[in-house]
Amino acid sequence: MDITLREIRKNYGAVQALRGVDASLRPGRVYGLLGENGAGKSTLMRVLCGRTRPDGGDILINGASAGALNPARALAVGVGMLQQDPLDFPAMKVWENFSLGGRGGGRAKAAENLANLSGSFHFSFDPDMRLADLTVGERQQLSLLRLLDAGVRVLILDEPTTGISLEQKEALFAAMRRLSKDENRTVIFVTHNLEEAVDMCDDILVMSHGRVTGEFTPPYSKEELLTRMFGEDAARPVKSSPAAAGRRDGRETLALSGAVFEGEGFDLADIDLCVRPGEIIGLAGLEGNGQEPLLRGLAGRARMKAGRLLLDGIDLSGKPPERFRFSGSHLLPAARLERGLFPDMSVREHFQLAFPELKGAGGTAFMEASCRRFRLPVRLSEPAVNLSGGNQQRLQLALIPENVKLLLLEHPTRGLDLESCRQIWEHLEERCRQGAAILFSSADLEEILDHCHRVLVFFQRRLFADVNASGLSAGALGALMSGQKGEGL
Amino acid sequence: MSAPGFRMAAPVRLVAVAAFAVAATLIILLLAGAPPLDAVSVILDGGVGSRIRALQSLGVWTPLMLCSAGLLLTFAAGLWNIGIEGQVVMGAIAATCLLRFFGEGAGTFPLVLGLLAGMAGGALWAWLSGALRVYGRVHEIFSGLGLNFVAIGLTLWLILGPWRQPGAASLSGTEPLPDDFWLPMPGGFPLWQTVLAAAAVIAVRIILTKSRWGLVVKASGQNASAAALWGLRPGLRALQAMAACGALAGLAGALQVTGLYHRLLPSISSGYGYTALLAVMMAGFKLGPVIPICFFFAILNVGSIQLPLGLRLDSSLAGVIQGVLALSVFVVAGLELRLRRRKGGA
Amino acid sequence: MDMFIATILGILAAGSPLVLASLGETISERAGVVNLSLDGAMLLSAMAAFALALTTGSAWLGFLFGGLTGAAVAGFLVVVSVYLGCSQMAIGFILTLLCRDLAYFLGNDYARLPGPDLGYWSIPGLGGISPVVYVSVIAMFLVWRWMFFTRSGLRARAVGESPQAAFSRGVKVNRIRILCVLTGGFMAGLAGGAYSLAIKNGWGRPQGCEGAGWICLAIVIFGGWSPWKVVAGAYFFAALQVAGIHLQDLFPGLPGPVFQVAPFPIMILTLLLANLGRMRRVKDLAARNPFVKKIVSGLNASAPEALGKDFNEDM
Repeated sequence: MDITLREIRKNYGAVQALRGVDASLRPGRVYGLLGENGAGKSTLMRVLCGRTRPDGGDILINGASAGALNPARALAVGVGMLQQDPLDFPAMKVWENFSLGGRGGGRAKAAENLANLSGSFHFSFDPDMRLADLTVGERQQLSLLRLLDAGVRVLILDEPTTGISLEQKEALFAAMRRLSKDENRTVIFVTHNLEEAVDMCDDILVMSHGRVTGEFTPPYSKEELLTRMFGEDAARPVKSSPAAAGRRDGRETLALSGAVFEGEGFDLADIDLCVRPGEIIGLAGLEGNGQEPLLRGLAGRARMKAGRLLLDGIDLSGKPPERFRFSGSHLLPAARLERGLFPDMSVREHFQLAFPELKGAGGTAFMEASCRRFRLPVRLSEPAVNLSGGNQQRLQLALIPENVKLLLLEHPTRGLDLESCRQIWEHLEERCRQGAAILFSSADLEEILDHCHRVLVFFQRRLFADVNASGLSAGALGALMSGQKGEGL
Repeated sequence: MSAPGFRMAAPVRLVAVAAFAVAATLIILLLAGAPPLDAVSVILDGGVGSRIRALQSLGVWTPLMLCSAGLLLTFAAGLWNIGIEGQVVMGAIAATCLLRFFGEGAGTFPLVLGLLAGMAGGALWAWLSGALRVYGRVHEIFSGLGLNFVAIGLTLWLILGPWRQPGAASLSGTEPLPDDFWLPMPGGFPLWQTVLAAAAVIAVRIILTKSRWGLVVKASGQNASAAALWGLRPGLRALQAMAACGALAGLAGALQVTGLYHRLLPSISSGYGYTALLAVMMAGFKLGPVIPICFFFAILNVGSIQLPLGLRLDSSLAGVIQGVLALSVFVVAGLELRLRRRKGGA
Repeated sequence: MDMFIATILGILAAGSPLVLASLGETISERAGVVNLSLDGAMLLSAMAAFALALTTGSAWLGFLFGGLTGAAVAGFLVVVSVYLGCSQMAIGFILTLLCRDLAYFLGNDYARLPGPDLGYWSIPGLGGISPVVYVSVIAMFLVWRWMFFTRSGLRARAVGESPQAAFSRGVKVNRIRILCVLTGGFMAGLAGGAYSLAIKNGWGRPQGCEGAGWICLAIVIFGGWSPWKVVAGAYFFAALQVAGIHLQDLFPGLPGPVFQVAPFPIMILTLLLANLGRMRRVKDLAARNPFVKKIVSGLNASAPEALGKDFNEDM
């Protein structure tokens, strides 16, 4: 089955996720789809499997337009996708998960089909187990078998190696080879991991900023792939470290030892970390590998299961969030409206909540001055929900008091235009010069390289590396994020 | 917002709600074989047809308004305080309990204490429901509802048991309280009730628009996750809002005892807690519209008492109309949203 | 012995409407929709069932009509919440109050009238058993078979767990939700009919089944959304009601109303128990102590993941 994508476009609000993608895929091959976070890989694949409706473009199957796809139709024509976030039913049994969206059937029939299929791939399942008791890798194998049972000819795997064991990964790769070479299906392997892509793929498509920017065949040059993924200057060492502030004295803003933070479905364990005033630390890595529990834990919002946490010398281990805030730790969540602000409350009310002492005309004057300083061109009566993403972030920043000690930011500039990014970083560096320490997570490597003194790299749900940012290149950082240590660091 | 929106003008929306409600009520009346116009005129005549009836309606407005004012606080905190009905009852019980300690000739001071006891009783009952939510993760709808039934059971037990009238126990209530503890009603005008209800309206308005506590409660109700991050302690705010609402509901119950019935009755709350919930939902959780809506609902309640006599219809028509109105508001809002989405999406 | 059998039969009879309504609610909640209107809808259905039975003289026709009334109320709820995006909670709550008053208003003419009932179907040796008992027992098996052994039952559960995942596997989410809520409402309506035509014959104000709907909503949570546990919960509360009558004879000093409200504090306690496992301290304790863990996991009921959440197919 030949598939041709023509001019696929998709916008989410003002963000152009796909800006006209063209590609053609032939059977019997493993295609790698490479690109950094937010390059549009997942969106493109969701369009192909009918989960996301594109705003424009066409999908041709064997030369004929497939029309508007939905998941049911895509499955019927033979396109199936293994989602990155497992789209299955943890509370239900193995055979039920297998039957739903596969060929169907009751317990007996589904169990039989499952046994046959898993035998041929050397997997093994107890059909009556609850899915929640399986490992991520096993759940993924089950989804794979279900898609094969449904008879897909085009199999999309979105970041399938996240969180699975080495043996499971090898079994998965063997299955991918067999499906393409022996059974003549098309396999699309969406990944972030350069090494794996180079090992597995007959063809690599690189995406960047919503476009396919290059197509490669073996032998691959890693340097060239990295350049295409991260831009022309991926190999360039970064300009001198920014805002060379901090480290003025021996004081520690933050000291973590043996800390364990509870994340969603996993614990981020054994974190030892020391942060000094004025330091800017970037958290790099594929999303969901522990950046969030660390940042939320440092604000008292993720449960700390063990270890010790000192903020400016005060022991805050296991204390409630109000103590963290009182002691000068402030978190700006990435989901600004959902977790950081109060959607229907006005700008004025936000100021009043953040600064209880603001009252009367003096308070209003302060708020107006603050808005001017932060270039927040809104009326004080405007509810937060009506603010643009950039203004929401500027508001969050304006609400941070002067004496903040530890400033934690999740994706500080996600979805913002260049000018807003510049202003926000100008302000953050100013805060650093005043002695605040900053920890932020970002999917944008350039942002991390441009602004950090130090980078914490997360890989496979643990803190993988803690490196000095000066002289670090995008390529070296990308390699670290793909789990490769060494290479002259 | 800059997105091309579709927004009905307020009068259009009002007309839509009214049309929907009138149509639904008409169908129901025809189903019951009742003459619609006669039913309306009987209700209006019964509710505001004479000075005494109008004053009666005002007397019903006061507990409705007290409850609604309290509910605005709990809704601000993001809570469904369905237990308000039980909080009214517990207020009545607590007030009666305290007043029974004082005999005749104790003056009017115990009356003040009785009202305060009512507030405390209601607050305690509400706090219990809130604590079950905050500490026990039992949704306040279930805890509140369960506690409503418990409060009603307690009333019945008291009336038929320890507080029964000398002679035969009967469902007609406890022995009347001494005259000293009757709230004065100059010329049948429910002066103190009205004053207290008005005070509650003003207090809630100030709390919700001017005070820091109100701001914090609103924030906690809107986004508990952000509130925790901001150190606003949303769990504590939920308990405080519940207790405040319970105090107002308890005051309403105490006023029913001291101002109207002068004894504890099995149906002392008259279902005003539930009616107030409907009123507040219909008002879109805003204080301004609640005031006239409570008046209207009070007129419906008082007027519908005449239905069985005049037209041999059940007085629950008042509740039917109130429910239909509240439902209409939601349906019209939903339709509007759908229309807007369609226009925005096209 | 006769006393024992009579008690058991009494519990079976008192439990049958609770079984029907809570199983119905289980179906709609398993598909992700809370039908908070249960209490009012049951009362309205009880009235409708009795009124039609009285008019036509056929108790069975009335019983069926009760079911349809319940389905109509549930249908309104689900259409308004799925298509108009109204809050399930708000609409459900308004509906429950509205239906209650509507029942009293429309049922005024039928109050305190003698009317037909469903009678008894005798079993030799045991005596007369109300047909609603048979209906409720059949319903148990049907619901269980349907929910766990049919394709549509599987799909319904999937929709309640994760509408996104179900949709991505080609399931028509909204259609399944509507059908499940309609079925649930129909069963709640049958429960109402069971009250006015079999358990507490006749119509009046109060009818006697007020509050039963709320108990059913709590039973669903207590039973952890699993049909057999829900059935057990329903009989537990039925046993409480029956015990109340007997205890009243034992404690003549306590008036009857006390026993009538007894199920409600017990309802709160059961909910507290069901949620125990989700409290942090208990969780920690369970992690250390295998005995506690066993108890907690037995009681712990996890709601369908997407319960009460809206779903929009377009993403």
